[in-house]
Amino acid sequence: MAGIRLDHLKKSFGAFTAVQDLDLDVTDGEFLVLLGPSGCGKTTTLNCIAGLETPSAGRILFDGRDVTSDPPHSRNIAMVFQSALLYPHMTAAANIEASLRRSDLAPEERRRRIDDAVSMLEIGDLLDKLPSEMSGGQRQRVATAKAIVRQPTAFLLDEPLSALDAALRMTLRAEIVNLQKRLGSTTVFVTHDQVEAMTMGDRIAVMNGGRLEQIGTPSEIYERPRSLFVAGFVGSPPMNLIRGEVADGVFAAGELRVPLAAAPGPVTLGVRPQHLHVRAEGGLPCAIFALERLGRETVLIVEDRARNRLRLLVEAEFEGRVGDPLDVAPDPARCLLFDDASGLIHAPAN
Amino acid sequence: MQRRMTLWAWLGIAVAVVWTLLPIYWFLKMSLLTPDEIARFPPPLVPLDPTPAAYFNIFGFDYQVTPELVRRASGQAGQIINGLINSLIVSIVVTAITMLVVVPLAYVFARLDFRFKQALLITILLSVALPPVSTLIPFYALYVQLGLAGTLFGLIVVTLTITIPFVTWMLIGYLRNLPPVERLARVDGYSRLETLVFIVIPLARSGIAVAAVIAFLFAWNEYTYALVLVNGTPANTLATALSGFLFQHPEPSHLAAALVVSILPPVLVAYFLQRHIAEMNLVDPIR
Ligand SMILES: Nc1ncnc2c1ncn2[C@@H]1O[C@H](COP(=O)(O)OP(=O)(O)OP(=O)(O)O)[C@@H](O)[C@H]1O
Ligand SMILES: [Mg+2]
Repeated sequence: MAGIRLDHLKKSFGAFTAVQDLDLDVTDGEFLVLLGPSGCGKTTTLNCIAGLETPSAGRILFDGRDVTSDPPHSRNIAMVFQSALLYPHMTAAANIEASLRRSDLAPEERRRRIDDAVSMLEIGDLLDKLPSEMSGGQRQRVATAKAIVRQPTAFLLDEPLSALDAALRMTLRAEIVNLQKRLGSTTVFVTHDQVEAMTMGDRIAVMNGGRLEQIGTPSEIYERPRSLFVAGFVGSPPMNLIRGEVADGVFAAGELRVPLAAAPGPVTLGVRPQHLHVRAEGGLPCAIFALERLGRETVLIVEDRARNRLRLLVEAEFEGRVGDPLDVAPDPARCLLFDDASGLIHAPAN
Repeated sequence: MQRRMTLWAWLGIAVAVVWTLLPIYWFLKMSLLTPDEIARFPPPLVPLDPTPAAYFNIFGFDYQVTPELVRRASGQAGQIINGLINSLIVSIVVTAITMLVVVPLAYVFARLDFRFKQALLITILLSVALPPVSTLIPFYALYVQLGLAGTLFGLIVVTLTITIPFVTWMLIGYLRNLPPVERLARVDGYSRLETLVFIVIPLARSGIAVAAVIAFLFAWNEYTYALVLVNGTPANTLATALSGFLFQHPEPSHLAAALVVSILPPVLVAYFLQRHIAEMNLVDPIR
């Protein structure tokens, strides 16, 4: 096991820079999630850690040892690729064994590791099957077994669940986290799904446009997003972001007024849907635009007179019809303020 | 609607089958007829008294039909045997060399990135587009200078100039659609060469088999270059030898039998590789 450190990592493809000046510390045994929208450089970063791509600049250290120019197999990492890539012409057993082809283990030890992985992932009856004869979830299990037999320094997973249906994804999510905690192995998990990131990661590194936006625990990322991008990207339903201005200790945007002690100037107010409430009167006058009933609660989408949409979380029993007028008001104690340039400038003390 | 579609489909298939098989049937039948049956008008639709005599004759053997009647060996037997051997040599050597060159070449173009890749690729495609006739005269002039005209070696080289670019171009498309197994292979510690030999070639065996069939068929059927470069020399191939007979007034059943022999190797090759041909799906190599 090992800690991984990226030191000013940069990767360009021709004139295009996919990853820019990335500093990242993954501590020993940690489950780190790389989260970001499509094309932000997550896979590129992971490939650099794996040694599949050579960084244009910067260093990669495993436990303080510089591995920047080592080939993948000598880094002793294991990787699970997007949609659980396996060798299509080899059986599950051959695929798993291929992981150990460069190791000099004794045959008994080799056997034991494979047997352990097979029983841990319950894939005993898949061993003679070709990947094309397995379901997506089964392929995923075999790919994971292939990764763990190597007992690697680090596990690198690139959107391994993205090709699966929602129910299976949820099952495997828990299985992967459980396995990681049992093995205690340093893991970097790439995803563009913020729910996956929030539920699985010890820490989340949010990337955007090849840069690291923020790194922190899921609750840090959720409670105190450092930038507008993170605020809008993490959380479901997403945070409401309202552009306005602070003057005399009051945030004003259209008809909305929120008392907030912040420096005057143009800002964006961020408020999570659960901190925006329906008021009898005295709030921002809106009309119901849509109701999304989730069972445990309801997402209420309203539109103010300037046609800006806001999302609220209300109780499941909420009664209302599209077009009904109502007033909404944010909880001033739970509002965040963002500056376009410097990011978060005001957050509730907690 | 459904029924009519099926009817039309069947009709289409029937037309296609008749279109391909009728000529083959016709000379297959002709090869089994006796000379006076061939001379008859209208010609019989089926051989009334099929004899394999022509097949013995074209390989230089007399055939005893009845104690009194012997059908004599064909005077062109030597040319046919020679042509058959030459064609087999050329086709097998061309196929082998083509595949040895093309598999790594197509792999490199399909799966790796390097400088000037696009320009080099276009060069290959252009040479596919070039009609053989346009390079015929330059090749001929060159070959006469080098003393390669009328040699099997010369014919093999010139055939390779067509099969290599064409098959490369074909195989590039197939290899491109393989899943990105190289990344997996690199993590497992396969070198580039090992990846090609142990992963990509087994994975792409259907596509490679089909490519080999195409190279073989091309070499076997090659006519334009052979006509100019080796016709009338000891390096004559079966295709040119057969076309030459038309001027030598052969016995019709002999010509027909020689034609049947000339389509046998392609038929055998296609038969043994049909599983791969059916398996090969150009869009999605891995079902
Ligand atoms: N080999 C390459 N050559 C050129 N550009 C590349 C190459 N690989 C990636 N890129 C570019 O780098 C950027 C980042 O790619 P990357 O695959 O890391 O994104 P990602 O965050 O993994 O996205 P996704 O969620 O879609 O997988 C993309 O804009 C992509 O087009
Ligand atoms: Mg990716």
